[in-house]
Amino acid sequence: MRIPELKRQYIWGIVLIVYLTAVLVPIGAPFPMSDITVEIYNVIGSLKPGQIVVVGGAWDFAFDLESSAAMIPALRQLADRHARIVFAPFAVESVQYQKYVMQASGIAEEQGGTYKYGVDWVQFGYIPGLPAAMVGFLNDVHSAVPADVYGTPDDKIPLMNDFHSWKDIALWICPHWSFDVVVRYATAEHGIPAIYFAQAAAYSGYSPFMMAYPDKVWMTNGFLGGAQYEQLMNTTGLGHAAINAYYILSAVLVVIVILGNVDMISKREKKEEKK
Amino acid sequence: MISTDPFIWISAFFTICSFTLLYGDNPLFRIGEYTFAGTVVAHGFVTGIQTLYGNYIPLFQGQDPMAAISLILAVMSLFIVWKKYAWIASFPIAVMIGVGTGVSVRALVSTDIIGNITATISEAGLILVGNPADGLGYAVRVIFTIVCTSYLLFTVLHRGPGSRTMSYLRTIGKYFFLVYLGLSVGNGVMQLSGLATSAINRLLVSWLGLG
Repeated sequence: MRIPELKRQYIWGIVLIVYLTAVLVPIGAPFPMSDITVEIYNVIGSLKPGQIVVVGGAWDFAFDLESSAAMIPALRQLADRHARIVFAPFAVESVQYQKYVMQASGIAEEQGGTYKYGVDWVQFGYIPGLPAAMVGFLNDVHSAVPADVYGTPDDKIPLMNDFHSWKDIALWICPHWSFDVVVRYATAEHGIPAIYFAQAAAYSGYSPFMMAYPDKVWMTNGFLGGAQYEQLMNTTGLGHAAINAYYILSAVLVVIVILGNVDMISKREKKEEKK
Repeated sequence: MISTDPFIWISAFFTICSFTLLYGDNPLFRIGEYTFAGTVVAHGFVTGIQTLYGNYIPLFQGQDPMAAISLILAVMSLFIVWKKYAWIASFPIAVMIGVGTGVSVRALVSTDIIGNITATISEAGLILVGNPADGLGYAVRVIFTIVCTSYLLFTVLHRGPGSRTMSYLRTIGKYFFLVYLGLSVGNGVMQLSGLATSAINRLLVSWLGLG
């Protein structure tokens, strides 16, 4: 049987069609719910109004985008609980990422929500010098970050009157890759509970922290975790779109792998026949 | 409805530029690649200037005189570009490395070493308790940890009594590491696949108003 040559353009074309189909015609692929995701949902759900939650860490926007699938519904849940949110970026691109998730969640007044800047939420600018900056931030927030991202001094921001050190933090949510730094300084040294909406590639490396700090550290896994969180919040978004694409793409990839192997074997046999 | 926001159009243009690499190297991809690199450098520079400005305002207002130390060290680090006086930059670099190492080592020992050892010991005690499926999971984790640690600790060939057992452990440890690497690569592929979905999602929903 002669198999047409598998040019990479053909493969990418098929994969592109699969992605487009998954986004345009959601198949509603089923996925299992994780106990840990439910625990995270309950931890955020148990926050009291006015408690301060830090959303912070460091990495590149592109890698952290995966975490936004869970981070966006989690921000909506934080708003439901009336928790106060402080965004602390420890990398240059983290500022843009945090602004993006806040905007996408739609909870701020500017997007038609109820959260007032300076009262219910604050966005700090880039805080250089991980991990020393993290230690300084936890010990004395006002010294580590004297002003917000817009240059407004801390003493003119109402929320900052109640936020001085790690003692005021009820929960740390990390949507960035640098979760190890959060665990080492916020959880291990000060006992602050920490949630990580992990990127799939980071999950296996950081998951032992959940065993080392049970009931203090929780992690979701990639877009699957995002889809689970969206389901808990009765919404659909990037997580569901990604899971739909995974399902169709996995089936297509199996076919491509089989075709590739058949092609390789048939070529090898032809070469041997020629010899 | 198709977006009227010019920034969405710019985003869509550069997303398409990036995807054209799948067909092969081409000028559109180069435009996207160089624009991205330039933007990242410019963004980093502007953010850095803003950060310096924000951090040193209290110093010039007389509120935080200690900030002068870091300012002096920062200026000293700039001498690295001047070959004759590059030695001056070694002082701030030494301070940075010293502080960074001191802060990191303290936390690393308690979390990554003691924390993980404690977790492994406590999981070993749960292997025969409760749900058998959970017990199997704990057993796998404990065995993987012990064998992989043995592989790393005994990289130098051990001779004498028990050398054969150690060599078996090392071999199994090597395969366990390969399993871990395979899982990591699989997770990495899932991440990249998901990022492609998010880019296409952005094109279709934010730009074209479909979906």
